[in-house]
Amino acid sequence: MIKPVHLTRRFFLQTSAAGFAASATALPALAANLQPVTFQLSWLHSVQFGGSYIAMKNGYWSDLGLDVSLAQGGPNAPVEPPVVSGTALVGISAADYTAAAVEQGAPFKIIAVAMQRNPFAIASLSGNPVNEPADLIGKKIGMAVANTPVLQALCTLNGIDINQIEIVPTQYDPAPLVSGQVDCLLCWETDLPVAMTVQGVENTTMLMADYGYAVHSQTYIATEESLTERRDTLVSLLKGEVMGWNDYYKDTDAAAALAVEMFPDAGLDPEAQKLQAARQVPLMFSDLTAEHGFGWFTQDTVAENIETLGLLGRQVTADLWDRSVLEEVYG
Amino acid sequence: MAVGRFIVTAVVFALVWEFLARAQTGSMIISGPVAIAEYLTNNSGLIVRAATETTTNAVLGFLWGNLAAMMLAVIVTLLPRSEWTISTLALLVFCIPLIASGPILRVLFGPGPGPQITLAALAVYYTTFLAFLVGLKAVSQNWTDLMGVYGRGRVATLFTVRLRASVPYLFVGLQIAAPAAFLGAMIGEFTGAERGLGVLTLRAMRGLQTDATWSLACVSAGIAMLGYGCLGALRRKFTPHAPVILFSPKRLDLGRSITIQLIGFVSVVGLVFVLWQGAMDAFGLNPFFAKRPGDIFRFLSEPAHLNTLLAALGATLAYAVPGYLAGLGLGAGLAILLMLWPPVARATMPIAIALRAVPIITTAPLLVLAFGRGFTGTVAIVAVMIFFPTLVACLQGLRQTPAQIVDLFESYGASRFQLLRSAQIPAMLPALFASARMAVPAALLAVTTAEWLATGRGIGVLMALTSSTSDYNMLWSCVVVLCLVAVVSYAFVAWCEKKVLGIYANEQLA
Repeated sequence: MIKPVHLTRRFFLQTSAAGFAASATALPALAANLQPVTFQLSWLHSVQFGGSYIAMKNGYWSDLGLDVSLAQGGPNAPVEPPVVSGTALVGISAADYTAAAVEQGAPFKIIAVAMQRNPFAIASLSGNPVNEPADLIGKKIGMAVANTPVLQALCTLNGIDINQIEIVPTQYDPAPLVSGQVDCLLCWETDLPVAMTVQGVENTTMLMADYGYAVHSQTYIATEESLTERRDTLVSLLKGEVMGWNDYYKDTDAAAALAVEMFPDAGLDPEAQKLQAARQVPLMFSDLTAEHGFGWFTQDTVAENIETLGLLGRQVTADLWDRSVLEEVYG
Repeated sequence: MAVGRFIVTAVVFALVWEFLARAQTGSMIISGPVAIAEYLTNNSGLIVRAATETTTNAVLGFLWGNLAAMMLAVIVTLLPRSEWTISTLALLVFCIPLIASGPILRVLFGPGPGPQITLAALAVYYTTFLAFLVGLKAVSQNWTDLMGVYGRGRVATLFTVRLRASVPYLFVGLQIAAPAAFLGAMIGEFTGAERGLGVLTLRAMRGLQTDATWSLACVSAGIAMLGYGCLGALRRKFTPHAPVILFSPKRLDLGRSITIQLIGFVSVVGLVFVLWQGAMDAFGLNPFFAKRPGDIFRFLSEPAHLNTLLAALGATLAYAVPGYLAGLGLGAGLAILLMLWPPVARATMPIAIALRAVPIITTAPLLVLAFGRGFTGTVAIVAVMIFFPTLVACLQGLRQTPAQIVDLFESYGASRFQLLRSAQIPAMLPALFASARMAVPAALLAVTTAEWLATGRGIGVLMALTSSTSDYNMLWSCVVVLCLVAVVSYAFVAWCEKKVLGIYANEQLA
């Protein structure tokens, strides 16, 4: 059983109370002097970023002196350009994406990890399930061809010949599976399978993280320059984020309801949001986070990542990760 | 009577649709009219807010894009020597795919509707430019000669003769632009917009909300049809005169020497590089994602990179050429069909507009289901993405048949087919070639989209990889190659056009 995380809102208010009292007296109009910060999300608004919404709604960031704008992502809104350009201070990425961007010259560091376990999964219909990697043999898998290295890595990790799987290029959409064009899909555990379940399509998922695929996902990235020049802002941003996600962990239904309420124009389905919020928990919260706090990573988890990233053709060192901001957050 | 027939057709259409939807229930691919009406009723607030947002951006993009197109065409008319340079630059800007322009626009504009409006404008300016230019040239030489005799210059000729003659073709451009601007605004939302029909479409498709997907498609198609219809009404109001015969003597081809042409070509290439580098520097765009000419030159100096690119190009061209021809054929064929059997037009036009106004991510799964993921399916996706401008332009081209000639054919009791073959199709040629030029970049971009949707090979997949690999060098190399192919193909189409129109419509070669 995972213990509740020891960091609470009160903890932060106590630790930073002295500093606040000083600044509050010096600057009576504190609320008007919030520092504007853009936080680039990796996809459209949904409970995927529930902790951030809680941080915003409960004023965790404004208490810490920040006015955070959450910039939504999208199919043609990659995270890296705004973070490189400095229009966003922090972006949500994934270790494989970040490694590739660094290879291309972006000065990124991973400063925290929201998804300890990678959300990639193989989804299939329960009548014709893929329960373990060996079941993939002879199956038609629908996926974006860009993700072929991911499937290749899974195959290598489990001693399967990828040529025995038929790859069908599809959009990121559950319809090809439901209409029988393919036997399974390469997708996130938390999106397409949730959609199928909510629409009454019985499905089975096999989480790739259970079969050796260790790639940190929903990672927080910032540039080296920000790490030196805007360190305090980064610490405050992550502090608020941690508090938001701790609240999320306590009540995922409330987080789902908040996402629906905050974005009435996003067309979010309340049931799907609830299920997604619950399914995210085992990916984000573990014994490690119970002990050290949300977002934490260690030499060991980094080493596992380096190994899987090697299978994806990314040669990286532990320098890609920088825990110093997180250490200040919990310090 | 016409209203009665329309209602009967609509009811039959709805019944067939509903039947198909119910026969397919398990696969969650098609929604019927009943389910769509139910969804729209239950979510009216959401849909109205999203439609307002997208429509506003589309209208602004429509205005800016068409304004820019008209100004460019006027400049070309006043300074004929600039035609080649301006046409090439206009073509190149149109060739930049969303995957390359999206991040740049979002970084430049930040949050807000800037990228959506810009992409809507970019989606329309090119077709309007080409159509309007055809119109400005569609004048009889005796009119311009008369202006010359009275000592009036180019500007006076432009206002008193050319602008009036151009009206039917200008409306071709505007009618093509109506659904295109809407689609552009929707696709623009994929760059991280907070709200709009495009955002909802993405969500609905991934959420397996078939009713929502179909409702959104219907709303999009409906708004685009409204725009198209209004512009059609305006066109009929502003072009009350029947088309006349345009007299234009055969021109002496004063072909410029190879040296002059070569100098012209080199200076345009130089200009493109200067503008490319200059624009990116002026806006201070980070070279991580906004690659300069020098970056691409260095990147492609590696044989491995060049070989990857050329192999992908081969795969892309194998689909681009058939897709291009299929799109042109579909557009021109439909236009001729509609001319021969006008009742078919009333049934077909709404579907054609719908196919143009709905994002391909919504229509592609249906096309793939019908035609498969192989050659036929890919060509079908390309054809569906590009046929609409050809259809609209050719329809107007057929209407441009001079009234005197139609009268002559009728007085001799000629059949519809004889009229079509000997009078209407020749009258359509300027419009057909304008659409053949419009379709060049459109087909290339359509193939790259079809590739990541269905085949999983080619330049489109190479570009799509950028999202996970940040390989912006490869992305911009792909853009350069697409631009080169577009320029060469465009020049070839223009050469064919010159040969054919030299016989049928000399005024266009002025």
